Amino acid sequence: MSNESWAIVAEDLRKTYGQTKAVDGISLKVAEGEIFGMLGPNGAGKSTTIEMIEGLRTADSGTITVLGLRQPRDARAIKMRIGIQLQTTALYPRLTVTELLDLFHTFYPGRTTIPTDQLIEMVDLGEKRTTRSKNLSGGQRQRLSVALALVNDADLVFLDEPTTGMDPQARRQLWDVIRDLQRRGKTILLTTHYLEEAEELCDRVAIIDHGRIIEMGSPEELVHRYFNEIAISFRDPAGGDAYRTLEGVTHVSTEDGRVTLYSSDVPHTMAGLLSQQNGGGVGTALRDLSVHNATLEDVFLKLTGRALRD
Amino acid sequence: MNTIRSLYVASIKEFMRDRAAIIWTLAFPLIFIVLFGVIFNGNGGAPNYTVGLINQDNGPYGTALVSAFKKYAASFKFETGSLDAELNKLKQGQTDMVIVIPADTSQKIAQKQTATVQMYDDPSKGQSDSQIKQSIVQAVMQGFSDSLPGTVTPLALQTNSILTHKYTYVDFLVPGILAMALMQLGLFGTATPLVTLRQEQVLRRLGATPLPRWHLLASQVLMRLTIALVQTGLILALSVWVFKVQIQGSILAVLGLVVLGAVAFVSLGYLVAAISKTVDAANGITSAVNFPMMFLSGIFFPLAALPIFLTPIVRALPLTYLGDALRQVLTGGTPAFPIWLDLAVLAAWTLVCSLVAVRLFKWE
Repeated sequence: MSNESWAIVAEDLRKTYGQTKAVDGISLKVAEGEIFGMLGPNGAGKSTTIEMIEGLRTADSGTITVLGLRQPRDARAIKMRIGIQLQTTALYPRLTVTELLDLFHTFYPGRTTIPTDQLIEMVDLGEKRTTRSKNLSGGQRQRLSVALALVNDADLVFLDEPTTGMDPQARRQLWDVIRDLQRRGKTILLTTHYLEEAEELCDRVAIIDHGRIIEMGSPEELVHRYFNEIAISFRDPAGGDAYRTLEGVTHVSTEDGRVTLYSSDVPHTMAGLLSQQNGGGVGTALRDLSVHNATLEDVFLKLTGRALRD
Repeated sequence: MNTIRSLYVASIKEFMRDRAAIIWTLAFPLIFIVLFGVIFNGNGGAPNYTVGLINQDNGPYGTALVSAFKKYAASFKFETGSLDAELNKLKQGQTDMVIVIPADTSQKIAQKQTATVQMYDDPSKGQSDSQIKQSIVQAVMQGFSDSLPGTVTPLALQTNSILTHKYTYVDFLVPGILAMALMQLGLFGTATPLVTLRQEQVLRRLGATPLPRWHLLASQVLMRLTIALVQTGLILALSVWVFKVQIQGSILAVLGLVVLGAVAFVSLGYLVAAISKTVDAANGITSAVNFPMMFLSGIFFPLAALPIFLTPIVRALPLTYLGDALRQVLTGGTPAFPIWLDLAVLAAWTLVCSLVAVRLFKWE
């Protein structure tokens, strides 16, 4: 791809606070129109990295190009074209939702902005339009802060843990908003604590720990890179020994009468399993049958040795 | 500037919807005026007075009276000069009183007539202050008269005010309270809200937009100037309508001083915000600055009433100069300092505070 097709090109970013290397040589490229996720435990360096790309912090070394413009030289021009949602944003507490959005419109002179009413509709705050921001619930405030990031119809939107504190319904609704942004050609860089969110939304993710990117790729790629098998589990009081010889099975575990077959070839394993059943050869019916992939959560655990929400 | 205007409107709305802020900023000074204006009628203390003593009499009694003053009025420090020069010094606040022994004193006493000694005083330093001085002068004159033979009272005292109108305690108080209100707008109305905005990361969020920082700064300063003018309006309205204060100077000059004072103390507020990491720290520092200023800057009591060892502190506080300048312009009070010095000190404070604040202020 030519340089213009990248929304973000960051090369060898470094940032040290005292003795701590917060960011220790991070390079990444985000394509235009892509939803890119950054995952990592707290203190891994993702916020520092994002803020350097946004222009809120200066890197000790490294180069950053955003939408073809150089950071920090073109910081103001970049801010005109990007939208930023910060993790914790307390706003003017006594201004209403509408007033805050109207206020933010004036920060982007000369740029076509999204009308306040449309923004309010996008994040479903219609009933709260005249509520002062201090009286909003955590999730509502979060939605307002997403709306504020969209005011300037940004070409590139940064969302820092956008769904934290939202109930499942609101979260799903925001996912729709994000997908809709992508459909309209926007690029999104997000961090999240929810791996299912990354799996659901992101075209590619980077897993960051100790200031470095330790893995990068699409969620499916990453899962396949670390977990080749797929798990097939069901109940069988007789135990799992009889299934060891089925085609594709690499490993069998039995726990409390629940058998789990790890298969590198699900179609053949399933076919063998069903023919055994039909022949009445072993066991009883396949009760509680389930087939599931290893998840990003498993990858994350394997790579960092920590669960993401610790 | 659209941005500045919208931020300005936003901050005004924030302020108007914060009941506590309104009470502290707008009602507090008014309460002070009512409280002190109604209850207080002056102040005590008999400090050392500097007195211009002019003897226009060539006869023996004039000289004798001068010696009597020098002997008995122990708390007076006397100096002599021409009447014009001494009256001028009194108007400048360099002396506290002028006593004139008229040319015909010896002649009148010799003819058993009453000679009238003139006393010039500046009642803007407080009424009780005037009474103390007057009673000392009268005591000396009484003693002098008693030492003379005869039954006719040989001496009378006529007091003259160098002010063209009757100067009351409220005339003294109101400019001081106005100055205090401007100071508190700068401290409580600037430092704490600003640190709150930073601590709550509002400044950080605004920094994530293309908004130039000086737009935010300009809107903040304009909003505070607006509040300062509203404060001034309320204070003057209460003073004129309820306490019958007569405004002596031009309203434009008063407003000019109000703006200068507000800018000086808002920049002090920015300085406090720059050195305060947390809201608690900002509150602590503002209280620590507010307290000595309120009581050592001649707001409630004339500077002359303060012990002499406090003078260096008094002269170091910017509120002293704003109070003095407003008192000169607003109610025609006697200057403690020349007006140019007041203006220069306030301008210097503004400059120093804003330069240091700009250097030290952190947006997050």
